Amino acid sequence: MMGFDAMAIFFWLFAVVACAGALIVVVSRNIVRAAVGLIVSLFGVALLFFLAGAEFLGAMQLMIYVGGTVVLLAFGVMLTARTLFLRMSTTADQWLVAILLALPLTVILIQAALSYSPFHGGQPSIERTAEKSSATSVRPITITELGMALLGFRENGQNSEAVTLFRGNQGYLLPFELISVHLLVVLIGAAYLARRGVPKTMASSDAASVSDLGPGSTD
Amino acid sequence: MAEEELQKTLMNSIPSINPEDISVGSESEVRTEELLINMGPQHPSTHGVLRVVLRTDGELVLEATPHIGYLHRCAEKIGEHVTPRQWIPYTDRMDYLAGMNMNLGWALTVEKLLGLQVSEKARHLRVLIVELGRIASHLVAAGTYGLDLGSFTPFVYCFREREKILNLFEAVCGARLTYSYITIGGLMADLPPGWLDQCEAFLDEFEPVVDDLHALLSVNHIFVKRTAGVGVLSPELAIAYGCTGPVLRGSGVDWDLRRDGDPFYTKMYQDYQFEVAVVRDGRYPQPSPAVPLEAVRGDCWHRFFVRMVEVVQSMRLVRQAIEKYRRADGDIGQPIKLNQKLPAGEVYLETECPKGQMGFMIVSLGDAIPWRVRARSSSFCNLSVLPELCRGCLVADVPAIVGSLDIVLGEVDR
Amino acid sequence: MVRLLSDWLTLTPKYEWVAYVAVGLFQAAILLALVMTAVAVATWAERKIAGRIQDRLGPTRVGGRFGWLQPVADGLKLLTKEDLIPASADSILFRLAPYLSFAPVFAVFLALPFSEGWVAHRLNTAAFFILAVLGLEVFGIILGGYASGSKWALLGAMREAAQVVSYEVPLAFSAMLPVVLAGTLDLVAIGEAQKGWFWNWFVFHDPFTFIAFWIYVTCAVAGTNRAPFDLAEAESELVAGFHTEYSGFRWSVFYMGEYAAMAAVSGLGVVLFLGGWNGPIPLADWLGLTPEAGAIAGFVGQLVGSINFVLKCIIGVVFMISLRWTLPRPRIDQVMSMCWKYCFPLVTIAFLGATLWTLFLPDGLLNWGHPKAATREASVVACFAEGQAP
Repeated sequence: MMGFDAMAIFFWLFAVVACAGALIVVVSRNIVRAAVGLIVSLFGVALLFFLAGAEFLGAMQLMIYVGGTVVLLAFGVMLTARTLFLRMSTTADQWLVAILLALPLTVILIQAALSYSPFHGGQPSIERTAEKSSATSVRPITITELGMALLGFRENGQNSEAVTLFRGNQGYLLPFELISVHLLVVLIGAAYLARRGVPKTMASSDAASVSDLGPGSTD
Repeated sequence: MAEEELQKTLMNSIPSINPEDISVGSESEVRTEELLINMGPQHPSTHGVLRVVLRTDGELVLEATPHIGYLHRCAEKIGEHVTPRQWIPYTDRMDYLAGMNMNLGWALTVEKLLGLQVSEKARHLRVLIVELGRIASHLVAAGTYGLDLGSFTPFVYCFREREKILNLFEAVCGARLTYSYITIGGLMADLPPGWLDQCEAFLDEFEPVVDDLHALLSVNHIFVKRTAGVGVLSPELAIAYGCTGPVLRGSGVDWDLRRDGDPFYTKMYQDYQFEVAVVRDGRYPQPSPAVPLEAVRGDCWHRFFVRMVEVVQSMRLVRQAIEKYRRADGDIGQPIKLNQKLPAGEVYLETECPKGQMGFMIVSLGDAIPWRVRARSSSFCNLSVLPELCRGCLVADVPAIVGSLDIVLGEVDR
Repeated sequence: MVRLLSDWLTLTPKYEWVAYVAVGLFQAAILLALVMTAVAVATWAERKIAGRIQDRLGPTRVGGRFGWLQPVADGLKLLTKEDLIPASADSILFRLAPYLSFAPVFAVFLALPFSEGWVAHRLNTAAFFILAVLGLEVFGIILGGYASGSKWALLGAMREAAQVVSYEVPLAFSAMLPVVLAGTLDLVAIGEAQKGWFWNWFVFHDPFTFIAFWIYVTCAVAGTNRAPFDLAEAESELVAGFHTEYSGFRWSVFYMGEYAAMAAVSGLGVVLFLGGWNGPIPLADWLGLTPEAGAIAGFVGQLVGSINFVLKCIIGVVFMISLRWTLPRPRIDQVMSMCWKYCFPLVTIAFLGATLWTLFLPDGLLNWGHPKAATREASVVACFAEGQAP
């Protein structure tokens, strides 16, 4: 467990980073510091993805969570913050409720992690596959595989290297497109709901230019 | 007690906006507060010690109030204690970017009171110097306007050319900014030998630079987008506020004192050919680039472009003046005696200075020292239209509007 | 390299992590030195080019006639400045912000290939990784503005962040175009796909990619907050920008971040559109400087390639510098409308056009084409028909 191989060292390092960030989020009284803690935590998770060789997933994590979500969070916090938010303190009863909710979740997660056989010294499944099909080397999952899986070409199990075409609805393309359209609808709805009223005192010739103002430029 | 009342009047002088006029939706929506932003007195784009108080709603300016007086030096009061010749340096320091033109205005006023007529040679030399001063002033206006809008290079080009003009002026009178060269009765000294050739060389070098400035500023797409349609001033409003010069001509009013003013002044420009820089049927006097489609008559772009056209016309005038000066004989006149007794009377004369119409008035009771002198400042009246222009514009447009008015605080405050 | 080091130090597999860390630090140090040198040269070039455009000389005193050591003098000056933190500033975040702004830009260089074999870490999702990491720069800006404790800095930071975030969209879109053409996110493979004469470069592949290249240039300039899009830092506007309260070394880190970002987006654009390390004429191939010919020849070939790459980056950076000193600044609402009303629709049209182009003309207009693209697509089509693996 406490091995000295590079993988373990880096795993522990990145895991500590992720947990420290999460701790900052929970403990910090200042909401912007909490946002920074969230960035650190999500960044730690991205580092773990990179360590596991899932480069695409790691980059996705960076782009979507760190780049997108936290920027959004920062904008929202700063645009709407009253002094109330700058100094938040969690009261005792809030702590109690939080612990009551988090404790079962922690127990379940630890139990699930410990029950995974490689944790007890068993071999990870990828090595088992290599043993069975000894002539082949283990192919790292590259983005080509992910792309093909999106279209429907997938390994039909971990034991074979044959890639078959899953016809019909086994590809992920349709759900992907549906989610994209769904996100677009959500975006438009949010933009519509958050629009401001236009002041009456504005000169009509400037009406067009002011309505071009992006979300960030209104204070 | 008086101080409190003064405070109160000062606070009340900032007009307020009726909140019911603005509908920003329900309380639960994201609201921006009304901000009171203070621009200046130290600010890179207010062209001097000007303080503009902006009341903004987010990015929109609701009200802009200029506060002046930071450069007031009691010039007019001092004029009641010194003779007219002694007051010439005070005129230099009004529009300090066009000191020659200020000197000319005052000299003509006193000459009109005295009934003095300067020689032809002096007249032509005056036209030469004054039009060079106009070019120099407009170069500063164009360069700093580009700088306000983020264009650094035209600023350096304009000042490089202005440097050549200032070198010419230094050869003539020894000073680069506060000349006191045009005096009552003529000019202080004649041109040094070789000066006219240097002046012609400068004009030849300067012509392609005007095209460069057009390319970098006047027809530059980004510049046009920043200035076209911004701060539109209608001719009626311009006349009502007493705006003159490029501000007035930018709104399309065909009025230039060199052609339409007091005969005592216009006869200085007798036999000179030049065109008044105003848009007629959508075109400016050629050669000049075409007016872009987005430019509205009376906007910042037009005010800026009038200055560029005036520069070209001034170059024409300088060339004519050089020819006429070469052919004229006589001398350049002599300044009047330091304590010359002035006849009783009152004279008010306006001249077409680069920033507008600068008027000087002298009231004399018969002594050597006038009873009252008054300088009617062009920039003061041009600046007074700022609240009208800035209402409803964006915060980033305020430097564009202030720059297009081309004010000099020395003139505004005197 | 890790194996070499661990063999030399005769490390047991248990302690191999030492070798990993050492090699990693070494490579990071090289890259950092490279980036710092690039930044220093870029600041010198900026002042010289600005001077020349403005009909003056620029620095001429420090380090001889050409002012070579001016960046060193500037750096020393900034290091010795008083370390001011405003009283109302959030001191931890204030200290953190400049590094948060610089680090993502530096990370771009980890995946940027200088030549076929010279890349710090060859990621097979390199293009995507770089785009993701460039988007992290925003948070440094926001934090810098917030932590300064002044409402003007915050306002400037918000405007800048909005601008950067908006322009990331057409930037990513236009960067995806060469990915479509090459069929891979791997920047090394994208560079290899542009081997040969200069007409193999993706920018000349079809008119839509040409348009996309110029959109990439616009978005790159806007995304790094360079003039003419530097509204939030402009001194002549009312709001002085997110780094108002920063002075001395912290400001220099922001400054370095800006120049490093210029070099990074330049480098990315060069690899994606301008052929990367391939020169206009395939000299290296003619001279036989390929890795197959031997170690020395391979090394020289890589060197030539990386020189090509650096030269092209320099052209890109010089272009950005000249742009700054020539054009005035649009207003912030004009900047935003330019992004959403012009860049974005144009880039979507270009994307559509280019993908259709590769579908119908897979071998290019005059058959110079990209055989890989042709066979790959043919094979995918065949797979669907037969139900077999590609």
